[in-house]
Amino acid sequence: MKLFGVDVGGTFTDVFFNDTEKHKTFIHKLPTTLEDPSVGVINGILELSKLHNVVIEEINHIFHGTTIGTNAILEFDGAHTGMITTEGYKDIMHIGRHQRPENYSIMQDIPWQNQPLIQRRNRKTVSERMGPKKGEVIKSLNEDEVRAAVNELKELGVESIIVGFLFSYINPEHEQRVVEIIKEEYPEAFITSSSDVSPQFREFERFTTAGLNGFIGPKVKNYVGNLSEGLKSANISADLHIMCSNGGVATPENIAAKPVNTLLSGPAAGVLGGAYAGALSDRKKLITFDIGGTSADIGIVTEDGFGEASARDTWIAGYPVMVPMIDIHTIGAGGGSIAYIDEGGLFKVGPKSAGSVPGPACYGHGGTFPTVSDANVVLGRLDQENFLGGEMKLHTEAAHQVIGELADKLGMTKEETAEGVLRILNNNMANAIREKTIQKGADPREFSLVAFGGAGPLHAVDVARELKIPEIVIPPYPGINSATGLLTTDLKYDVIKTEFMLSSELELGILNEDFQALEEGLRQQLIDDHVNDEDVSMLRFAECRYVGQGYELRVPLPNEELIGQNIEKYFDLFHEMHRNEYGHAFKESPIEIVNIRVTGLGKMPKLNKEKMNERSTLEEAIVKTENVTFRHKGELRKIETIHYQRELLPVGIQIEGPAIIFQKDTTTVIPPDNSFSLEEFGNLIIKVGDQS
Amino acid sequence: MTLETKAKTVLDPITMQVVLGALENAAIEMGHKLARMSYSSIIRESEDFGCALVNLAGHQLCESSHSTPLQSGPIPGYVKGINTIMMERNEQYEPGDIILHNSTYHGASHGPDFGICVPVFYQEELIGFSVTTAHHLDVGASTPGSCGIVDAVDAYAEGLQFKAIKVYEQGKKNTFIWNVLRDNIRSSDMVVGDIEAQIAAARIGAERYLEIVEKYGLDIVEATAEALTDYSEKMMRNAISKLPDGEYQAEGLMDGYLDSDDPAKKDLKITVTLKVKGDELEVDLTGTSKQVDDRPINMPLEGTVNIAIYLTLRSILLDSTEYGNFPQNTGLTRPIKIIAPSGTLCNPIFPAPTIARFAPGNVVADTLMKALAEVVPKQVSAGVGNLKVLAMSGKRGKDYWVYMDIMEGSYGGRYGKDGMDSVDTLYANTRNNPIEDIESHYPLRVTRYELRNHSSAPGKWRGGIGSIREMTFLEDGSFSVEGDGHKYEPWGFAGGNDGKVGALSIRKPEEEEMSLPSKIPNTVVVKGSSLKMTGPCGGGYGNPFERAPQAVFEDFLDDYISKEQAETEYGVVITRDGKLDMQATEHLRNS
Repeated sequence: MKLFGVDVGGTFTDVFFNDTEKHKTFIHKLPTTLEDPSVGVINGILELSKLHNVVIEEINHIFHGTTIGTNAILEFDGAHTGMITTEGYKDIMHIGRHQRPENYSIMQDIPWQNQPLIQRRNRKTVSERMGPKKGEVIKSLNEDEVRAAVNELKELGVESIIVGFLFSYINPEHEQRVVEIIKEEYPEAFITSSSDVSPQFREFERFTTAGLNGFIGPKVKNYVGNLSEGLKSANISADLHIMCSNGGVATPENIAAKPVNTLLSGPAAGVLGGAYAGALSDRKKLITFDIGGTSADIGIVTEDGFGEASARDTWIAGYPVMVPMIDIHTIGAGGGSIAYIDEGGLFKVGPKSAGSVPGPACYGHGGTFPTVSDANVVLGRLDQENFLGGEMKLHTEAAHQVIGELADKLGMTKEETAEGVLRILNNNMANAIREKTIQKGADPREFSLVAFGGAGPLHAVDVARELKIPEIVIPPYPGINSATGLLTTDLKYDVIKTEFMLSSELELGILNEDFQALEEGLRQQLIDDHVNDEDVSMLRFAECRYVGQGYELRVPLPNEELIGQNIEKYFDLFHEMHRNEYGHAFKESPIEIVNIRVTGLGKMPKLNKEKMNERSTLEEAIVKTENVTFRHKGELRKIETIHYQRELLPVGIQIEGPAIIFQKDTTTVIPPDNSFSLEEFGNLIIKVGDQS
Repeated sequence: MTLETKAKTVLDPITMQVVLGALENAAIEMGHKLARMSYSSIIRESEDFGCALVNLAGHQLCESSHSTPLQSGPIPGYVKGINTIMMERNEQYEPGDIILHNSTYHGASHGPDFGICVPVFYQEELIGFSVTTAHHLDVGASTPGSCGIVDAVDAYAEGLQFKAIKVYEQGKKNTFIWNVLRDNIRSSDMVVGDIEAQIAAARIGAERYLEIVEKYGLDIVEATAEALTDYSEKMMRNAISKLPDGEYQAEGLMDGYLDSDDPAKKDLKITVTLKVKGDELEVDLTGTSKQVDDRPINMPLEGTVNIAIYLTLRSILLDSTEYGNFPQNTGLTRPIKIIAPSGTLCNPIFPAPTIARFAPGNVVADTLMKALAEVVPKQVSAGVGNLKVLAMSGKRGKDYWVYMDIMEGSYGGRYGKDGMDSVDTLYANTRNNPIEDIESHYPLRVTRYELRNHSSAPGKWRGGIGSIREMTFLEDGSFSVEGDGHKYEPWGFAGGNDGKVGALSIRKPEEEEMSLPSKIPNTVVVKGSSLKMTGPCGGGYGNPFERAPQAVFEDFLDDYISKEQAETEYGVVITRDGKLDMQATEHLRNS
């Protein structure tokens, strides 16, 4: 199989190619074509193919990560959208949860009021109402009103219409009927129903999720169309799949209907890339650690796969999004994070960032603020001549200048200041990891840290030491890790049904029936996507809480009929999960099954791992020896440090730090008392020594 | 009990930042876990809770950002109150103790806000406290629920008072007190579950506190606490010194009990005189109405009035939109002096009842903002509309179901921005309950929830818009309400119009809709009865004739104003077929 992974970021489009039969891997990077990123995707495939003699007609699959939908939201540049909702509840999306985002601010903006996805004039109400008891109809749907509302919206020029009714997650009939009527009256409209994109209780969050889908819908649909057309006219007939926030891929048709599922496409692929790198070295418990210019993304991978965010914790640009997403914790800390002393005298690093323009002072593009990258330059950890494979020369003096100014204000030496910048940043990142591990009952000492992104390998050892993580994995291509991750996934669809069933009043018959129905729907969808029956698999979950609580935990269930005896085992598992998550279990309390969920997987071809070619000796990998500043035995000092070229490192030799390892897309820093080696499948493994 | 103060530890700014990060991380964890473990919607959905670590000297080290300020803010006061009582009783803190406290005359915000305090020991020495606070559904008052107890005649009528009670002693559960609690509180499974969640979260905080001290050293943590307090103090002093010296005064009025015959119970006044001198500020409440001896709208000084003042000052002078987030601690309060004459609404004398102090506290905050409006007109909003809290309850077997609904207010217009519509206001920041959650768990139906049409207060930047929320009983039950803002409109500012008052009415089956005052003690209703709460609209800011015609037109399109209002209030002409007529507008505005 010939597979392509193409990840489009804000600056670069990364292309990864793998021939699973001939065991060949090639990578390519080109600037993102901002006004239509599909152009860059196609060019990237063509350019790589030309460079490495790949016959384009022979390409089997293309996996793609996109930020079209995400950017439409971040830039608030989406479709003119309308809504049809229940009479008496016009402003659910405007009032929200009536909570202000900031506790201590008069001048704050509330995103959903300041930038409404759907303006009030475009929210039309119709007579209908369902109730909480199995979705009983309290008021029937007035279809004449629906028709009138659709035509009004059509006249107002909306391109996209969402339908959101109370309790539609239990009984979607009214929403479905409205969708039919819209199709009759205004077939050109992009239509979203709330029960279709997110059939879960909590109306503000569900309607907003539908609103986001409607807002970005026409744009994403258009993009996917362009891309498919473009591939066709370039004679590329490969199957196209697009990455979703849940860590799986979906067909272009599916994405065109539910683009809200792509909002974390890129970061999700990053976690998958990290998981893949871990698997190359048979590591199963991983903390993925992706640091770029402005932010750091943290994900957790265990034997059970990657963590999924709680439906209550997923937001984009301040709007809640209630769809399955990999649990990725993002903090404003990266190479461009600015260090400063605030009005009251506190020394802070980030979340403000110098971005890529002007970027850190050391880029020489006019940046005047001291950043994390500048601190790395001052300490000798980033090399003037070997940044981005030597493509960009760093301005060492500018870095010294800005860090020096900061040092004067602090009354510290330049080196102490630079180290301080890193210490504050690394601690912020360690705290973020702590939230996802120690605070959830997981011990970082049992994990490996997979560090990637342009700046991950620069900071990994210091962060690992802070948390006593014993080992670090640096993947072969840390700078295009998301594109790699794209080639490691499956088709993945999630379906959900709200049950509100108590452990004291279990109706197993209903649960079994509902699971069956959900699975059948999924199986059909996967077959429609041309997945062979033997490649389909299903995962079942019950989202449970103690009766009265407001947050659920996801308990995995077996793929078999639930019977009285085995269900107890899973309730016990819930108690245990609750104890791990919160440090306490309420064993006497009855449990409520809030939702049941099924995840359907359709197996996709994947990247093959490859052994490194035989390399020469260690000596040949040495670029130079220079002083780098490290804290050693409690003191900050300049230490003679060997600099290696990663591409020339021999396999399997344990090498002692301190060391700096150059490679085209990143620099890896190994402080004293740590050692590293290159593994046969290309990972760099760092053994983290005791803090000294 | 005193900490040996060592020679001042030299603290570098990097270590300080690192320790601060660790402390804040601990507070985030406490808040996260409390919200997720708790049972009642008032905590888990409305987020009416707080978490903080406090050192031995009583300084707050960190607070959970994920909570309402009215809960986290008072925590140092709870600790101080507990200390006082323990001292009086000659009791000692022991490892494994867990202390329950809700005494409003000893730091608590009001009776239903239970504080759970875990003393933290390091090398057998007391070093500080891990504390959670949360609003409980019922505290054993005369009628069901813990809000709308508007007819309590004294502190005893408000329910159980816990004055620094050890619910665990040296790790052992004090079963007597738990039995008393269960026997005297409605819906006690829910309440006890929530207290246990509070205990679990406070214990986690204590564990983290200890880990941080073990990792960085007690002297470093203490030095950090001191430096952070100094830092916050400096920020507040800097902000105050930007204000011109002088005296600024404002008055705020509230309904009180509009249906009472007693003039001392209604049309009550809050007077704020702000005295700015250099980098210090005095808030003098002299002139405020006398306490109402036998109705619970008096405000605990420490747990409510002080907090309302500190948080309002912080939100205006150190607005996080401009200043970012920084530690909330006693440093912020050092440059501020509060004068509240004893025996007034703002400093009642025991046993004056205080349980319904929520709405009055909002008036204190709003009046303070009004006084500041003269000084920093670009940092305030026009008048804020007050809110209501509704308790609904009924029988369920031998026990009760109790549901509390916080009805939001709205903000006034701001310099350059319209007011925030339908949000929780000022010193509180809770969340509403999803309709789908309420109806799935209580015999209630939310029959309407949307913004008021044609009600926004005109201004260059219009006032925020209140909402209408209707709730219907599907079974027989009872309700009570505490609120305010039915009589006095939120103030307009700088030429903006005054806002609109809120309202409350009831419609019983087969009866006409009947208007109600803002405070209703427990009242029995039959199935099918429906309550309609109308939220207030905040005041307008600036001359409405200066509002951009396009913005006025958009408000018309969104039904925030009518065509007639556009013309009479804003001088903006909209044609018969709904188009903006710029020419006629200019003509009208210039005439």
